[in-house]
Amino acid sequence: MTETANGGAAKPARKPLVDESEGMRYLERLPRKLVTVYLPLGIIMLVLIFPFYWMAITAVKPKSHLLDLDTHSPFYTLSPTIEHIRDLLFKTDYPLWLWNTMLVAVVATILALLASIFAAYAIVRIRYRGAQWVGGLIFLAYLVPPSILFIPLSTVIHEYGLFDTPFALILTYPTILIPFSTWLLMGYFKTIPFELEECALIDGASRWQILWKIVLPLAVPGLISAGIFCLTLCWNEFIYALTFINSTEHKTVPVAIVTALTDGDQYRWGSLMAGALVGSLPLVILYSFFVEHYVSAMTGAVKE
Amino acid sequence: MPDAAIPHSASSPTASSRTLAPPSLWSRLKVNRDWLGAWFMLPAIAFLVLFLAYPLALGIAYSFTEARIGQDIWSAPWAGLDNYIWLMGDDQFLVAVFNTLFYTFVASVLKFAIGLYLAVLLNNHLPFRALIRAIVLVPFIVPTVLSAIAFWWIFDPQFSIVSWSLRQMGIISTNIDFLGDPWNARWSVIFANVWRGVPFIAITLLAGLQTVQPSLYEAATIDGASRWQMFRHITYPLLTPIIAVVMTFSVLFTFTDFQLIKVLTNGGPAGATELMATLSYNRAILGGQRIGEGAAISTAMIPFLLACILISWFGLQRRKWQQGEGND
Amino acid sequence: MPKIDRRSLIKGAAAAGAAGAVAQTGLFGFAQAWAQAAPWKPEKGAKLQILRWKRFIQSEEDAFMVLVAAFTKATGVPVNVLNESLDDVQPKASVAANTGQGPDLFWGLYSLPHLFPNKIVDVTDVATHLGKKYGGWVASAETYGKSGGKWIAIPVGYNGNVINYRQSMIEAAGFKEVPKDTAGFLELIKALKGKNTPGGMALGRASGDGNAWVHWCLWAFGGNVVDAKDKVIINSPETVKALEYAQALYASFIPGTASWNDSFNNKAFLSGELSLTNNGVSIYAAAKAEAAKGDAKMKAMADDTNHALWPVGPIGKPTEFHIAYPMMIMRYSKFPQAAKAFLAFTLEAENYDKWLIGAVAYITHPLNAYDKNPVWTSDPKLTIVRDIAKRTLTAGGLGSVGERAASALADFLVLDMFASVCTGRTTIKDAIAVAERQAKRIYR
Repeated sequence: MTETANGGAAKPARKPLVDESEGMRYLERLPRKLVTVYLPLGIIMLVLIFPFYWMAITAVKPKSHLLDLDTHSPFYTLSPTIEHIRDLLFKTDYPLWLWNTMLVAVVATILALLASIFAAYAIVRIRYRGAQWVGGLIFLAYLVPPSILFIPLSTVIHEYGLFDTPFALILTYPTILIPFSTWLLMGYFKTIPFELEECALIDGASRWQILWKIVLPLAVPGLISAGIFCLTLCWNEFIYALTFINSTEHKTVPVAIVTALTDGDQYRWGSLMAGALVGSLPLVILYSFFVEHYVSAMTGAVKE
Repeated sequence: MPDAAIPHSASSPTASSRTLAPPSLWSRLKVNRDWLGAWFMLPAIAFLVLFLAYPLALGIAYSFTEARIGQDIWSAPWAGLDNYIWLMGDDQFLVAVFNTLFYTFVASVLKFAIGLYLAVLLNNHLPFRALIRAIVLVPFIVPTVLSAIAFWWIFDPQFSIVSWSLRQMGIISTNIDFLGDPWNARWSVIFANVWRGVPFIAITLLAGLQTVQPSLYEAATIDGASRWQMFRHITYPLLTPIIAVVMTFSVLFTFTDFQLIKVLTNGGPAGATELMATLSYNRAILGGQRIGEGAAISTAMIPFLLACILISWFGLQRRKWQQGEGND
Repeated sequence: MPKIDRRSLIKGAAAAGAAGAVAQTGLFGFAQAWAQAAPWKPEKGAKLQILRWKRFIQSEEDAFMVLVAAFTKATGVPVNVLNESLDDVQPKASVAANTGQGPDLFWGLYSLPHLFPNKIVDVTDVATHLGKKYGGWVASAETYGKSGGKWIAIPVGYNGNVINYRQSMIEAAGFKEVPKDTAGFLELIKALKGKNTPGGMALGRASGDGNAWVHWCLWAFGGNVVDAKDKVIINSPETVKALEYAQALYASFIPGTASWNDSFNNKAFLSGELSLTNNGVSIYAAAKAEAAKGDAKMKAMADDTNHALWPVGPIGKPTEFHIAYPMMIMRYSKFPQAAKAFLAFTLEAENYDKWLIGAVAYITHPLNAYDKNPVWTSDPKLTIVRDIAKRTLTAGGLGSVGERAASALADFLVLDMFASVCTGRTTIKDAIAVAERQAKRIYR
């Protein structure tokens, strides 16, 4: 027998727990746990991952097997081919679209982060007159999602002469990103002890210096979380990209896959799935390195 | 941006022997909170005003005109409330409103139930916890449009893997018409939406679950409470604040969903899965290009959206007040 | 690093290949001579950008790019060809027209030019020249191309949407050929379902195939959205009969057609799941292309596939609805003369004939002289689409080919009405009421 129940109870309650103490576990029996926990969990996980698996399998299946479910088992393929991926990368503009999407995502994220850093710092530390109100207004921005704004925004984009350029997206995506990252960064900034800044203030540093030299280095995890989340949101954006970008060479991956990968009335299904797969890869790769940051981004935002 | 110069009177050790000069207006401004605050807020506010607040007002203005695509607001013919009056009698619009409300309600309830259940499952001591959590988040990471394409193929009327498997197992004899039958289509898109939304809710609620002190559970078990009672009286009330926030977000995003429907069914069959967002796009950009009407549909979303959010926010918070807790 | 993308690759390849092709076919010689003689001299330093619908058949696009290369070589005017999906051309053209900037030429469908007739260049001179030289225009070309007595666009081609069917499957169902009347057609569809080889036609937002069959059905029974004076007459017993017929057809269709866009029937037909549908000749062309690469299954498919004209309804005459592809020049273009030269060049025999052949009958001509093009006799299965330009009714039915007809099409007014009834989402009466209300708003 390991730690007693008392040992478990003595832990401070506010830390997110990975509780290794025995706790209540002595009541659980393996068979029961199998049925009530492992089985449902397994089923749910299977359902969650299956479409992604399906996407991957279809992307490497030879063309003749795709529509012939009876002769070749659809669940696996014994003769995987890279012809779809090859067609995708070399016979379409896909690399260009990937580049467009990354460019827009990265630049928009940088702009949004900069704006959010200043705004979050202002609200949390500078506490100017009306800070809470302005902060509240920023969050209200969430109530006006893209699917409400895209029509008038398209005329605004025309007015500013940005139609059909990457700038149309680079300048509009921050409106989706700023509320979220400001919120998140506020939470992170709050955890930095005010004493550090007080000392610097007394030593005569300006707010600007404090922000760059003290606060930001300490908030790097928060910045990474916010940055990754923003990148994900940019990749996921569809309606603005669909409405503001017309010519094929400026399209982003989500829009291009849906509108440009067709031959009139023949969809190249293998390439379509390959496109979906390759389009997901950058995010999945990024995600696999920064899982913890994703989770803390989501939970941090919600806890505020 | 205030520059980095140090105020003259502050740091040098010999300053104490000099007469202190009154600080200049500039250096006073530099530390004045409101001035600094304004400058710091400027970038964020600029983005939000130029590309959010202004278009919002413009959109509402457009809804009172009969603008065509590409026309600016001043040359668009005035229509007053015509667009709204016409929409109220428009069958397609009313169906879209119904669809949106139905879709939002059902999908949110399902996401909440399954998300909570999954969070509870994940809260157990599990091997490979990190890996499981990573897998669970995959639907959230893959861009919606791309997973919608995968679903499109999974729900294909002739080549669906689901139909095929069920036929092989002998459960059904003909292919399921996932997206061609109105109600099947509605349930299919709800399924896709739930699939996508559950991870976010599950992981967030999991984090919330992990802040609940185990001692509470231990005390309850000693008192003889069953697992269900523990859930209902300990877990759920403590989670309510987080649930309220997460579900409000979820309702918001589900109500205004565009991409999933656009790719999966484009509002079909015959408008059975048309949401207000997709209807607005189809009318304004694709169809007769009636920007005014599209803007009216978008603006009409706002009151519904507000209502849904208020219901979800306050409805879920209610218990907290009942418990007598303070403003958390 | 120079930007290497599909467009530049295609242009490079096309230019290289086309230069070779041009030289070989003597096209260059003709082109030069034409450039000297043509009344439309391109402006100095002209550059053209044309936006066209994305090709359905690769060889059609290849032939088109050869044509473009020849034009550039002859006149020195570089032409950049943009491809957009069929449904995107109209929104883009509208935006360009309203904002005053964009490609010089648009190549769209149906009555696109009539959406903004005063923003388009008058091309009467080009049309008259071509009409005189090539045996005159078909009637529908004049309807689609003219506005207020002047030509504003040239329907450079049409696409014939016909019944595609599997000969072996209809024979197994007891029919030697596709019946020529609607009652017989319904019997065929029922029999096909009975033999578990169902047919199906698209009822989703398929702007090509879907629109083609629902308009055929509506008109075949005497129904119409508007009359000749643009008054809304969709609420009529004829419309009810058309909807009832469609319901009967749908009951025997393969499941899922209500979610089909233009590509689903191709997919189902080519994989053997579908015995009969409506489409251009692209299904057959795709099968033949695969068969040429050695695919035996596709060869059998191509041999078994045939085309038939639409049956005639109680109204007593053909009521077919084929797609017209008008090309137009925008007024904001800085090089209208060069654009006119391009338009004329496209329809000159030396170019157009080759393009028709490259399109393997996917495109039909609007000028009578091209009836003699060899593509119509190259394969008897393709001859059927030779005359579709002469047979087709126009968008708007009895009413005007104009902005309102274009609006009604873009809003899928008729298609949604049929889809609602067939899927059982609404009753016939309600569906007609909804369509009538929408039509009245459009035709106000």
